[in-house]
Order: sequence, then structure tokens, then C-alpha cells
Amino acid sequence: MGGITLQDAGYSAGGKVILSGLSLHLEEPRIGIVGRNGSGKTTLLRLIAGLVAPSAGTVRVDGINPFADRKGALSRLGILFQNPEHQILFPTVEEELAFGLRQQGMPQRQALEAARAALAAEGRGHWAKAPVSTLSGGQKHWLCLQAVLLMAPATILLDEPFAGLDLPSIARVSRRLAALPQRLVTISHDTAAVAGADRVIWLEAGRIRTDGPPAEVLPGFTAEMARIGEADADADLAG
Amino acid sequence: MLTLTSPVETPLHRLPAGAKLAALAVFTLVLFRLSSPLPLAGAAALVAALHLPWGRTFALHALRMLRPLWPFVAVVALWHLWTRDLHGGAVILLRMVAAVAAANLVTMTTRLSDMLAVFETLARPLSPILPPRRLALAFALVIRFIPTLSDRMALLAQASRARSPRRPGWRLAVPATLAALDGADQAAEALRARGGSD
Repeated sequence: MGGITLQDAGYSAGGKVILSGLSLHLEEPRIGIVGRNGSGKTTLLRLIAGLVAPSAGTVRVDGINPFADRKGALSRLGILFQNPEHQILFPTVEEELAFGLRQQGMPQRQALEAARAALAAEGRGHWAKAPVSTLSGGQKHWLCLQAVLLMAPATILLDEPFAGLDLPSIARVSRRLAALPQRLVTISHDTAAVAGADRVIWLEAGRIRTDGPPAEVLPGFTAEMARIGEADADADLAG
Repeated sequence: MLTLTSPVETPLHRLPAGAKLAALAVFTLVLFRLSSPLPLAGAAALVAALHLPWGRTFALHALRMLRPLWPFVAVVALWHLWTRDLHGGAVILLRMVAAVAAANLVTMTTRLSDMLAVFETLARPLSPILPPRRLALAFALVIRFIPTLSDRMALLAQASRARSPRRPGWRLAVPATLAALDGADQAAEALRARGGSD
């Protein structure tokens, strides 16, 4: 079966339940996941990406288990971490880009050539040898997205893709993302980032609160956030 | 090693990394066979001469890169002045400075990826116990995360300074260690997200 399927999936860590009873079938091209801080958005994304195994239920992507079958997962799922520092593994730009290709079985030389070609196509050929430590925050973000795109996964999971970017960068990245043929699953606490999605899932305390088109989900979400904001919004600990 | 990259591109950059490393090994071996000051001074002069044709910036940068050596030079010189063994002192000092300067010269003029490729080739006989790609990945991770860790240390020191009048000193050891472990977890997850190390 195509798409991402969660069946009664849950995740607990250190005795705390972070996600529970999630049953979802995701196949729309643009999916948004909204929720407050600590609602389990990032954990859900990591669960789908196969970075963590569910402690209950199952997660399947096109029928495969993304946690156990990493080879199968690589062509199906790419994930953009919220913090580029947590994603970048290599000292130079070209090595960072080539790594994923090499993991997909491309020989090192070809992988490096593909990385340089991708940089040149974006007018950044001179970045190839640059140390990643010299890049600005926005440039690191761009590099991470590019590294994921080079692997050409069918679905890209985006964790707060606009966090920390300045306004021109946000415009550029959203234009870039909108043009992608891939399925995108975007998590955000900002309704603007998911307003154009085909489907929005509102996550609250590790469970699905509402699930539907943005016009149905977002007004309720916005109203609830405003209501909580009136009260003390931030006293509860996550989990 | 990280700051050891040359500010200017020289013709030495175009020589194969393996040849440079082999020449360095031979040169260092010869340094240790020479036992009188005059030939050693010649060897040191040769190293110096190899720096000069690439311009002032390059030579000055190389000189700055020798800075960590000076305390040792001072200690060795004082000791040999004290024992009145000027001959022995000159031999050790010339040998030390020439060897380190030559090694720096190779590092400065060799791209890291080329250096790693040489190590990967050399480590091939070990491949049953140490897969070369894993070794290369380990090198890359070290080089990637050393500046990150030192940035993290600097941030911790600033965070401490922002709220404490005292120098942070050893009090940063625990948070810095935890940050390093955190970083390791994040790197492991990032590796997993793109296929692990196999």
C-alpha cells in the first residue's frame, strides 16, 4: 500500500508517553502537522522517518518498516531537522552533499561530482570546498535541504523548515518547497506554513485533536492557541 | 590541523598527497640520521626555502603556525645552556624545528580529503578489522565536530559570564561533556537519517 500508514502507533521514552493511539494514513502531496511545543510533533516526524521505533503499534511507508529497513527508507523518506547543526555531519559542503548519495550506493567519485553539479546548478559552485563551519545559519539550512533533495526521496519530512530564517530566506525556501514534486510533511506551530496544505493534522498531547483540510482545522487551532495564550500557556512540562 | 590550511593556493597544492607524505617521512628519517648541526642547519634552510617562493602571506602564516613550538624551543635551549652542551642543543632544536615546519608545510598544502584518501589506502590491509570507509567517516566526523565543540565551549563560557562574576574554569567541564554526548546522539541520528555508516 502506498503512502505512510500508522496503526495505533505510540511512543514512550523514559516512562513518559509522548505519542499514543495514532492511526493515520497519509498520502496527500502536502500535509501539515500543527501543535504546541511539546505536543509530540517532532517525535511523530522521527517515528515516520524511522529514526526511532514505535513502542506500540506499527509504522509503514509504502508497506515497509522504516525503522528496520533503512535501505528501503532512504529512497522513500528524507528528513530535514529543525536545527541544521544537528544534521550536518561533514567538514566540507561537497562531502556533506555526497554522503547520502554514497549511502544509496553511488561510488564516492560520482557522488562528489553529483554534489558539485548540484551546487553549480544553484549558482553555488564555489561552495564545494568551503568548510561547513563558515556558513551562516541560513546557508547551513540550505545545505541540509539540498543534501536531502539530492537523495531524491519520495517524501520529505520538514521539521519547522522556516524556524530561524529571515524573511527573504523564508520566501525563497517556501517557493522552493512549493515547486517540489515530492510529498511534503511539514510540522510547524505557525499556521501560515501549512495554510496551503491539502491536509492538516492538529496534534495535542501526543494525540490527534483534529484532522482535515486546513479550512476546517486551522480556525479551531488558532482560536484555541489564542485562548490558551490568555491563560498561563507554558506551565506544563512536556510528556 | 584545522587552522593549518594555507591562506593562498601554491603549486605545492597540486602535488599528489601520497608523494608529499612519503617525502615528509623520508625527510624526517634523514633528520634523525643527521647528528651534527651543520647538515641539520642545511635541512632547516631547505624547509625554509620551500616556503619562500609562494609569497609573504604564505611564509608569515607558516611562521605563525610554528608558534606552539616556541615554549619547547625555550625549554630545550635553556636546558642545554645550563648543561653547556651547545652542540647537543643545536642538534635537537634544528631537528625539531625542521621536522615540525616540514610537517606543517605538507599539512598546509594538502587538502584534507586528499590526506584522508591516502590514509584510506594505507589502512587497506587493516580492512577486515577496520573497514576503510568507517575509518574515513571517523576522520570526517572528528574534523567536523572539533570546531563545533569549541564553539559550544565558548557559548557555555559566555552563558556563564552572563550570569556569574567568576571565571567559569573547570565548572564548565560537566556541561561541556554533556553537550558533547548530546552532540554525539544528534550525529548518530543524523547518520541514521541518511543511511548510517555502511
